Amino acid sequence: MKLLRVTQKKFQFEIDRTEKFLLLHVLQLYPAVPASHHRLSKDRHIPNREENQHLLDEALKAQRSERRKQVESLLKDPHRFVEFEDGYRVSFTREEVEWLLQVLNDVRVGSWIAMGSPDQQTENKRRLTKQAMPHVMAMDAAGFFETSFLHAITGGTAHGHE
Amino acid sequence: MPEVLPDIEQDSQTDSRSDLDPGYLVICWDDPVNLMEYVTHVFQTVFGWERKKAEKKMREVHNLGKSLLTREGLEKAEFYVHQLQKYNLHATLERDSK
Repeated sequence: MKLLRVTQKKFQFEIDRTEKFLLLHVLQLYPAVPASHHRLSKDRHIPNREENQHLLDEALKAQRSERRKQVESLLKDPHRFVEFEDGYRVSFTREEVEWLLQVLNDVRVGSWIAMGSPDQQTENKRRLTKQAMPHVMAMDAAGFFETSFLHAITGGTAHGHE
Repeated sequence: MPEVLPDIEQDSQTDSRSDLDPGYLVICWDDPVNLMEYVTHVFQTVFGWERKKAEKKMREVHNLGKSLLTREGLEKAEFYVHQLQKYNLHATLERDSK
């Protein structure tokens, strides 16, 4: 995936057939993070903790619903990807890139959770089992597209993991 | 003529002191999955920070395991945690014990 042009309103990318297939596949996996994953606080002494947790859950639920609609709309848009030589050209607005980043990161984090939240710094290392393979692929593909979009909006080099 | 003041109704449900005091911390915790560049971008977007400050905070998260992002009143701190969690960062709200 290669950034071709940046205008005031849009980012235009060149994307090959395999990348297009992968991007659409990853987007279809949204949402991947379980609703129960998000905790407002580790502190028991926060006022109205349960009520405020409920508010967070509701806010995230509304966002998931909105993002899902945006993803479906993008997936159904027959004019989004314009065939060109060996691949496609595709344009996204700044706003679309912003929510695409959220969606891709959700798939990345959700895939990581599905693998048991592995951490190379602990004994719970990532293992390439048959069961883990789809999650590994989704996580890495989501990271690839995240990096491409981040590179486009920062104009710099996006790399590295937390 | 005596000045007539309106009755002031006390709302027992609202603890305005705890809502307004900057006694709540927004903390971002390290995890091995979020990309460093993504975390920097989210900090810039949510807090409006310049890239240099956002990168500094991201590196604190990465190197120290967590970073105190801001100290606010309850409502604003909750708002920031909501925004960060919408981006799937591991952020929480904690009471400032100092």
